[in-house]
Amino acid sequence: MIVEFENTLNTPDAVRAFLKRLLDDALADAVLTAFASPHSPLPMPTLMIDSQLLDRAVPLAPAAPLNTARMAARVLSKDIGKRIAVVLRPCEIRALIEMEKLSQCTLDPAILISMDCFGRMENDRYLELAATQDDPESAFYATPDLQEAVCPSCRACLRFIPENVDVTLCLAGQSDKKGVTLVSGSLKGEKVLKKLGGTSTDLPLGRQADIDRIMARRQTHREEMTTGAAARMADMAVFQQTIANCLNCYNCRVACPVCYCKECVFVTDVFAHRPEILMGRAMKKGAVKIPTDTTMFHLTRMAHIAHACVGCGQCSSVCPSSIPVADLFITVSEKVQEHYGYIPGQDPQRPWPFLVVETDKQVE
Amino acid sequence: MATREPKIIALVCNWCTYTAADLAGTSRLIYPANVRMVRFMCTGMIDVKYIIKAFLEGADGVFVGGCHPGDCHYINGNVKAERRISGLQVLLEQFGIDPKRFTLKWIGASEGPEFQRNMQEFTRTIAELGPQIESDMMIL
Repeated sequence: MIVEFENTLNTPDAVRAFLKRLLDDALADAVLTAFASPHSPLPMPTLMIDSQLLDRAVPLAPAAPLNTARMAARVLSKDIGKRIAVVLRPCEIRALIEMEKLSQCTLDPAILISMDCFGRMENDRYLELAATQDDPESAFYATPDLQEAVCPSCRACLRFIPENVDVTLCLAGQSDKKGVTLVSGSLKGEKVLKKLGGTSTDLPLGRQADIDRIMARRQTHREEMTTGAAARMADMAVFQQTIANCLNCYNCRVACPVCYCKECVFVTDVFAHRPEILMGRAMKKGAVKIPTDTTMFHLTRMAHIAHACVGCGQCSSVCPSSIPVADLFITVSEKVQEHYGYIPGQDPQRPWPFLVVETDKQVE
Repeated sequence: MATREPKIIALVCNWCTYTAADLAGTSRLIYPANVRMVRFMCTGMIDVKYIIKAFLEGADGVFVGGCHPGDCHYINGNVKAERRISGLQVLLEQFGIDPKRFTLKWIGASEGPEFQRNMQEFTRTIAELGPQIESDMMIL
């Protein structure tokens, strides 16, 4: 079902109006979306019950200080009988689907809403924009130049159209139009749109052309990125240079939505080496760098979750040493995902490849 | 350094490959001393980090030995290991580690001579490939 909504308002306002209607008409009990607090323009994921407060929500702001899937998974960690509408980027939807497979959340009470994603800016870049623009959200969609200022992983993202969502907010092909076109992707979404009662319509005319245009540009960026990243890890010696400034802060692990272990081995006693171990290692090579196991950390993290990498780029954004972690991850995961024939977030029914036992082999 | 003896780490399953190694020993079958064996209860419990660690600490090759499919003491640990390890091979290849340095073989408990042959072959392969990385230059 395709519905045109509030075609007198500009697009971000129409989206806000849509979210307000969800609360006002009791189609959802709460909305989780990006909200700029009175203290900073940087939007934070916020669980909202009061529809008045949604005036300050910025669901389309080109900023995401963290992968909201992790926050959504907290709200959805169990079904408490409340219907929660969550507004996420396509990469965050993919992450949330992966997290559900890992029993980190349940999507039964969720109404998943996502948009054609033009990318997110790094926090400092967005704050700069917000300092000069009263309405950074609208400015971003009106200015193609700004859309090029998104972070590297977004520039190279080919999966910017939402999959497996209940409602899609069509933004591609929307730039010169008012209102927003809503598309349902499930029965749940269709019910919501029916109750909302907008005028039934077709997809925006220029949408496919706009998608193709963005896709072509991003494909170029992606090739550049993966070629560059592959050269940065062509062998162990080069890889040492790439990660030489790593502080072992593990921010990349904390920010990663699919690196979900509550007790990561790297923060346990296994890697809290006793002095005799450190002395032993120093004796072996004449010296030992502390913190230890930097290469080990990066390789192991890749080996553990490259098949599930959704390409959100948060790992790069949070790195204090500006290591292009996401470039490396996206490049490696492309190959690993191809090997397993597994595309994260694509099929909610498909288990993680490590968990699939080829039964014919078992009885061979 | 280029001519140093290859270092090989063998991660083997307690129920089959390790027992096969035992059999090879009691049968007085000789296999290269380059192989250092680590015994696991099942190949299914070999986390990828053990293999990565072996390479980073200067191993030139890693051999994983498990039960034939269908013979796993824990039903299907070996099949899980195969699946996980195949992905690691794809990953390590991108870091310049030749997939040939890293192999998974099924060796049953009664296959002492098979164990010997595998060790000889793998050691030869690794010797031909030469040393992997000078771990001295690694930041680790």
